Amino acid sequence: MTTATAPVAPAAPARPRRVALPGPARLLRLELRRNIMPWLLPLLAVLFWFVTYRPAMANPPFWNVRSAIVQSHTMLAFAPLLAGAAAWAGSRDRRRGVADLVDMTALPRWAGQLAAWAATTCWAEAIYLAGVAVLYVVTAHQGAWGGPLWWPVAVGAAFVAASCALGFTAGSLLPSRFTAPVAAFVMFLALAGCAFALQANVTYAQIWPLNVQGALPSDSYGIFYPYLPDLPITQLMFLAGLAAAALGGLGLPTAAGGRWLRRAAAAVTAAGLAAAGTGVVLAGTARLEAHGIVVPALHDAASGRPTPYTPVCSHTAVPICLQPAYRALLPDVTAALGPVLSQVADLPGMPARVTQVAVTSVHAEPSNGIGFGGPVISGHPPVLYLPLAGLTLPGEGNTPATQFIAGLRQQDGPSILSVLVGLPGQIPAQSGLGGINSIPNPRHFAQVAVVDGMVRVLGLGQPGPLSTPIQHGTSSGEQQVLAAAQRFAALPAATRHAWLVTHLAALRADRISVSEIP
Amino acid sequence: MTAAQVGNKARHADPAPWQKTGYWLAGLRLARLYAASRRAATCLLVLVACAIALRTALHWLPRGGVYAEQIPITIEAGAAAVIGVTTGSPFGDPERATGRWLPYLRLVAAMALAGAAFGALAAGSASQHLDGGTLSLLRDLAGFTGLAFLTGAVLGGALAWIGPLGYLAITLPALAGHWTTPWLWPARPPHDRGAAICAGLVFTAGLAVVTVRGARAWFR
Repeated sequence: MTTATAPVAPAAPARPRRVALPGPARLLRLELRRNIMPWLLPLLAVLFWFVTYRPAMANPPFWNVRSAIVQSHTMLAFAPLLAGAAAWAGSRDRRRGVADLVDMTALPRWAGQLAAWAATTCWAEAIYLAGVAVLYVVTAHQGAWGGPLWWPVAVGAAFVAASCALGFTAGSLLPSRFTAPVAAFVMFLALAGCAFALQANVTYAQIWPLNVQGALPSDSYGIFYPYLPDLPITQLMFLAGLAAAALGGLGLPTAAGGRWLRRAAAAVTAAGLAAAGTGVVLAGTARLEAHGIVVPALHDAASGRPTPYTPVCSHTAVPICLQPAYRALLPDVTAALGPVLSQVADLPGMPARVTQVAVTSVHAEPSNGIGFGGPVISGHPPVLYLPLAGLTLPGEGNTPATQFIAGLRQQDGPSILSVLVGLPGQIPAQSGLGGINSIPNPRHFAQVAVVDGMVRVLGLGQPGPLSTPIQHGTSSGEQQVLAAAQRFAALPAATRHAWLVTHLAALRADRISVSEIP
Repeated sequence: MTAAQVGNKARHADPAPWQKTGYWLAGLRLARLYAASRRAATCLLVLVACAIALRTALHWLPRGGVYAEQIPITIEAGAAAVIGVTTGSPFGDPERATGRWLPYLRLVAAMALAGAAFGALAAGSASQHLDGGTLSLLRDLAGFTGLAFLTGAVLGGALAWIGPLGYLAITLPALAGHWTTPWLWPARPPHDRGAAICAGLVFTAGLAVVTVRGARAWFR
């Protein structure tokens, strides 16, 4: 048998050819496969669980609370590590001693570096967005009202890219075994320093990428009114500018490429610096308003329109109506305020309804603090506007419903009574009985005494001035108030109620003196 | 005298004084070369920078609050990360195969750098208010450094920084959340025995692993 007669082996099935990608895509695929980030994914996933998912799940399912966490908590943990990992990737060629070899290739050096940065950033964005997706899906599954907020996610994603760009540039320009840890460490310190500047009320520090609507608590925005995008836009400008400036800076050295490429890199750097500077300047003009941070140059008046919703109301003597996002809290709020409202339901001028609002008034305080106004009565027929922002809600941490009910009753019960008798509206919320007792104007002593007496009767206050004998040395005004309050509290319920029906209008008008209180 | 006797005599005889000096010089040279290969001098410079950063921060920071805890802990973690990075060897297997003094060198270098870090940071915080005091500084730095050593043994010396800085990222929210587990020792009071034991265990384990096995020569 000759070779010619030998049976021909059946041809092996042709292997499917790998799809030919264009050059940059092939380079990116190579970089994705050779990147350090896949080794860090487990660590980043654990970090996401610890610093984002766990705290988020310890809060009630509100989109604003959960969305704020993915910008502030997540990026505090991710940004330094990503900067370090990117610095490691950026110093790779010099670390391996192949920088000269790579410089000689046909591909411009800058393009190669951009591909390595893009691969690192792609991995980082993938883990960040995957974590956000899990959190948002779980939140949606828990029945959160409204829709997810995307601006915090956008700022977080931009911060991921900017961290990688800054770290990569540091690693590329200063290749050393210490560059990665120092880059991560400096990122931590920069975030801490900026937070410190924000606490010192430096207005430009509003640009801090972890800043979500300033000092406003995360449950006070994005529900009653649209989420204000002013501050996120400035943060995006700043972060995109930083990333562009850092990456453009890589293309400036002679080895980075030809003349035109370096000119383009210079233009990118300049544009990036301009964008970052503009973002900082705009953030310096930001001011705190009731529904978020407003940057005048970027503010759209249309975003000040309230979000339409159908309230959920209790079937009590004075209906309590909440925003549907707070539907689960309706029984607790009713249990807290119902007894107070039922006691005063038929008094003249008493509100016909209690309506939840985001905030009634807000003012900035030192050290990046914030103060909220308490409940107010206004309109015709009168409506009591009740803010719940800033309260520790049931399910937040380990807060039980009973603690929330007691806290709300002690905080807002006296405030409602004080509004009812016409005490000045500047009494801060959460001041309770102490805030009322601290009113110095003798003109309001009668109102304070009535409120104190009612607080005593309704069990709204902690044992305090009313439960102790009048101390020797107390000023005569305070003695009169305490004595009147104790007298008023000791009255039979029917007598007290009848006196209030008769005298409430005069009491509101400051025409009743302390001695006239029965 | 036979050839065998010559060998025995040479083995048991005391070395001449000039030979003793030679051994010492060779030992010192070996230590110097080891330190140079691990960039110990640069590490010391970074530690000095950390001490300056700590002093500057303590000068400006308020005496209480979250930042008064977070920023010193961040600096301690940074110092530990830099110490961990020095465990990486640029030579890899050839050095492992031939360097019989390596475990001693690793131990001495690790202890010396950790001691230098503590000394630098303690000096940086001297006459300033450091939240938790020097005891807390010692505990936290030891724990962070142990984590850096352990990470170096797993991922390689050049990536040893990931351990302490990743742990720091978990710790910072814990400071505000008042967690009570001793395994998050920076969030515990300075006299917490459980936290001190945990930090000490981590440091001891890290030091033992990095002394015996050295940092892994994996990622380059």
